[in-house]
Amino acid sequence: MTRLLDYGLGSLSNLIMKMADLSVRSVDTAIELYEKGDGDKSQLFEWSEQLRVLQDEITELAVELIARYQPVATDLRFIRSCIEISYGFSRFGRYAYDIVDVIGAMGSIAHCDKSAVMEMAKTTTEMIHQSVQALRTRDKTAAEKLYQMDDTVDALYRKHLREAITPSTKKGTNDMVKDPRCYVSTLLILRYLERMADHACYVGDAVNYIVTGSSSPRR
Amino acid sequence: MTSEEYLSSQDYQLAKTVAKPGYKVSVQRLNSWFFEKKALKEINLDVKENTVTALIGPSGCGKTTLIRSLNRMNEMTLGARVEGSVFLDDVDIYDRTVDPVIIKRRIGMVFQKPNPFPTMSIYDNVAAGLRLNGIRDKRLINEIVEESLKGAALWDEVKDELGKPGISLSGGQQQRLCIARALAMQPEVLLMDEPTSALDPIASAKIEELMHDLKRDLTIIIVTHNMQQAARVSDFTAFMYLGELIEYGPTTRIFENPDKELTERYISGKFG
Ligand SMILES: Nc1ncnc2c1ncn2[C@@H]1O[C@H](COP(=O)(O)OP(=O)(O)OP(=O)(O)O)[C@@H](O)[C@H]1O
Ligand SMILES: [Mg+2]
Repeated sequence: MTRLLDYGLGSLSNLIMKMADLSVRSVDTAIELYEKGDGDKSQLFEWSEQLRVLQDEITELAVELIARYQPVATDLRFIRSCIEISYGFSRFGRYAYDIVDVIGAMGSIAHCDKSAVMEMAKTTTEMIHQSVQALRTRDKTAAEKLYQMDDTVDALYRKHLREAITPSTKKGTNDMVKDPRCYVSTLLILRYLERMADHACYVGDAVNYIVTGSSSPRR
Repeated sequence: MTSEEYLSSQDYQLAKTVAKPGYKVSVQRLNSWFFEKKALKEINLDVKENTVTALIGPSGCGKTTLIRSLNRMNEMTLGARVEGSVFLDDVDIYDRTVDPVIIKRRIGMVFQKPNPFPTMSIYDNVAAGLRLNGIRDKRLINEIVEESLKGAALWDEVKDELGKPGISLSGGQQQRLCIARALAMQPEVLLMDEPTSALDPIASAKIEELMHDLKRDLTIIIVTHNMQQAARVSDFTAFMYLGELIEYGPTTRIFENPDKELTERYISGKFG
């Protein structure tokens, strides 16, 4: 038996997976552009806007489904989680845009050491892919893994922050010190990556809530 | 004595069912039959005082049978038989020494179809039970009638025409009159079997609001087919299926995260 609610849940599901694809593509593209030192942000801006519009659509549809059908149990939990996850996905898009925007604002950063960002980006993008995969397969165990990866990201972020505010004893050896553009852009982007990693965890939480009904307190 | 004999003996029954302190109503190992057909299977249900408990489940699952066995109303049905215990505080209402009339006074009931006494005025509908119980003091009866009609949120609408026939009221008003009639006996527990299924949304909302107010003073058990109504009015929800109590718990949990697949399917409308 197909319930009227099922048609609405189908649409909601399509919208959220569309956001998933778009946000993953945004983040991957932003990292590629950073690596190339390319600050062309027009594409990222467009995707970020699309994600924001999709987020609004999801919220509206979610409210409509609640008003019309008063869903309960798994249906209700899925709808609530879609609202939360769509916010997470739109943040992925926004931070991806912000990364490219930094390149544009700073001018050429081709000569900067990119290893710190690339190291963190590896984990963060992996987390984003895993959070989307968790949603696709309704994997309740993903949240736990995501939080473990988030610890790595947080540790990296703190390490670089500490380095940045510690007066260098080996002046001249580090191009971060030589060029404030490298130094500021690196810290900003590390910050965006760290934020994205948190949102990937929240997506994991929201998936876990759909499946188990227990909302894990945000750590 | 064989173990089988022991299991069916009085000793075992008495040993297994004892009053549950802290609960207003405690249903224990309740089984019920209509002739050969089993209608309730080993029902256990503990109801806290000053709460609303909703009984939900598909048609024929035994909701009416269960609620009617909570004040021995079912005994009046041909072929009906009950085993097990229903404690009201510390009294097993099925104990042979218990007077069913007193039980019906302590546990009132409101039915699906409003059923005011057809030949009586509004006033007499509410006063009838009091008189039947030997109360003659006119001032006292006046007081209780007014209080009960106020309690049922009907007073303002009928106070100037208490002599009018009860059946001249609208359906929603008649249902509140029946609630007033039940309240006049000052029951500790109020049983309601689909009390709003014959009413329009506004009249239903009034009854729902009433339940919310009444639970300050008494304990309410309601049968409803309206899932949203159960979600709105009840603190606890019991889901029944084919004579069994499948799941029972706080309403928010049952509707947000039920334990049993069967419950989930029923409340989500995935049955059939
Ligand atoms: N007076 C009766 N004589 C024989 N069988 C009965 C009688 N009343 C109920 N039953 C049977 O007992 C079972 C439970 O009936 P009950 O009226 O308790 O169901 P219910 O959950 O209240 O259903 P509904 O939602 O339709 O009111 C059903 O199989 C019904 O056929
Ligand atoms: Mg019934």
